[in-house]
Amino acid sequence: MAENGRPKVAFFDFACCEGCQLTVVDSLQTHLELVEAVEIVQFREAMTEKGEDYQIAFIEGSCTREQDEARLREIREQADIVVALGACAHIAGVNAIKNVQPSLQDVREYVYGDKWEQYDSYAARPISAVIEVDAVIPGCPIDRFEFLDVVKKLLLGKKPSVPDYPVCVECKLKENVCILETGGTCLGPITRAGCDAIYPTYGVGCLGCRGLISNPNENAMMDVLEEAGLTVEQLMSKMTMFNAYEPAHIGEAVASPAEE
Amino acid sequence: MSLWVIDKQAMAPFVAKLMDDYRVVGPLAKGSQFAFDEVEDPADLRLDYNTSILPPKKYFQPPEERLMTFRRNGGTTVQPIVEAEPTVILGIHTCDLHAMRVLDEAFTQGYPDAHYTRRRRQAMVVSVECLEPCMEHSFCKSMGTLTADDGYDLHLTDLGAAYAVDVGSDEGKALLERFAEARPAAEADMQQLNKVLGAKWPRFPYKLETEVDELPALMSQSYESPVWEELAEICLACGQCTIVCPTCFCFDVYDEVDLSLQDGERRRRWDSCQLDLFATVAGGENFRESQAARLRHRFMRKGRYLRKKYDALGCVGCGRCARSCPVDISPVNVFNELHQVRA
Repeated sequence: MAENGRPKVAFFDFACCEGCQLTVVDSLQTHLELVEAVEIVQFREAMTEKGEDYQIAFIEGSCTREQDEARLREIREQADIVVALGACAHIAGVNAIKNVQPSLQDVREYVYGDKWEQYDSYAARPISAVIEVDAVIPGCPIDRFEFLDVVKKLLLGKKPSVPDYPVCVECKLKENVCILETGGTCLGPITRAGCDAIYPTYGVGCLGCRGLISNPNENAMMDVLEEAGLTVEQLMSKMTMFNAYEPAHIGEAVASPAEE
Repeated sequence: MSLWVIDKQAMAPFVAKLMDDYRVVGPLAKGSQFAFDEVEDPADLRLDYNTSILPPKKYFQPPEERLMTFRRNGGTTVQPIVEAEPTVILGIHTCDLHAMRVLDEAFTQGYPDAHYTRRRRQAMVVSVECLEPCMEHSFCKSMGTLTADDGYDLHLTDLGAAYAVDVGSDEGKALLERFAEARPAAEADMQQLNKVLGAKWPRFPYKLETEVDELPALMSQSYESPVWEELAEICLACGQCTIVCPTCFCFDVYDEVDLSLQDGERRRRWDSCQLDLFATVAGGENFRESQAARLRHRFMRKGRYLRKKYDALGCVGCGRCARSCPVDISPVNVFNELHQVRA
């Protein structure tokens, strides 16, 4: 704890676009009281100082290299509380699309060309596969109000929880005309709510960035999408856009691909 | 009480005058469907709507509301909040009128809910008689909700060039006298009304293969039916059915604080028995762990429990849940299947 009684907070990033941290920067502007509530000691995207004494670590990004593992463990060692910030850290997100390609080698060559050997890369994992995670803030990117809510819960000494019901609940409460009813495709029925159904509200089907609810009926969802006219290939790419990393294994420690 | 007539061209001025004294809400177009919302221009009002996405219950029990605020600074203080304002709800269909009986019972039995009752008291209900089936999913005729004798302040029936207005309460009469250019119905109006009402019934199909009064017994005998497991295979447990249901009223209460951790408010929001965590209690025990159990519970409430508890229909046949369901689970089909299995 800082001398002023505010917890010291640090932000870290791994394989990601840093869009979730941008949302945090944004929320610091719209909710100035955040700056009063915590003391930020490290936040590469927003400040030069780099304090190593912190209690709460927000981590954005997936673990995609062996050297990420050691850095994650260092952070875990220092922090009392580790929060996975956004889809990449929470469920491996779009990074895990490479996990379901026929060959990781092909992926590396496709992305890095003839320099592929200079860039380490193995199957993407959520940070919970490497270290214990105390709370998650799902989404691509995160929702600023959920970020605020998690901060409040942590300050209160409560374990933050995120909704465990589907996007349909929020969508219907907004009285949106259902995307599925109008012939579109939407993963809302199996995707974790908390985004205020932002995609369907603007007429686009949910892509599942917040991960799946605890007990999703994936078979029924696939039947619905097939009936909506998706080919098997389209269906699989939709289901794996954000959720290629086996949803049932989110939150579990998993052996490093480096050891395989 | 008494029958009046408003010419159709007098409706817009009527609504405009109401808007001076009340919040006026009614069915408005929303994309390809309709939703109850605040009327800003009387020309937007769509009394010819088929059905609304959410039922008008949202004006009595909002999806989310504040119950009280609290402060911890300088001695703990609590301030109850009842958010209600005089509202005219235009265009309620008779299925939804019947559904309001369930809500009235649920929120007034035992410990009356101040939030609900205040809003209910401040609301004027202007309902509309349905003359055509609204959609393939509705089965109001089978449930006995295709018309209503009471539950409204004013009730409109489309006579073509005019609306017949049945006055259902003293408040309704006052509303009509004060804001509308209406005339007492003449003999010819009565005849036209009878003709319109007589002609409507054959347009609506009976869909339930048993009698509505048989439902409680049918549900009672169907508790162990394999139908629940079969439905659970395809049910996504998305919760839409309960959210759009005009007789569902379950809610969750929670507290929110601001970042100073000193001030906050107690809120409540709609909940759904179809969601995993609904029946989960401290310690992690879930009393309805399987989707089959949750589905059965929903249908038991619609067909039996609410009838027993409130002597009111748990399902009014509006069809909203069937329309919303991504896998086409429809209560009338479920009731019929249970009936066939039993027969």
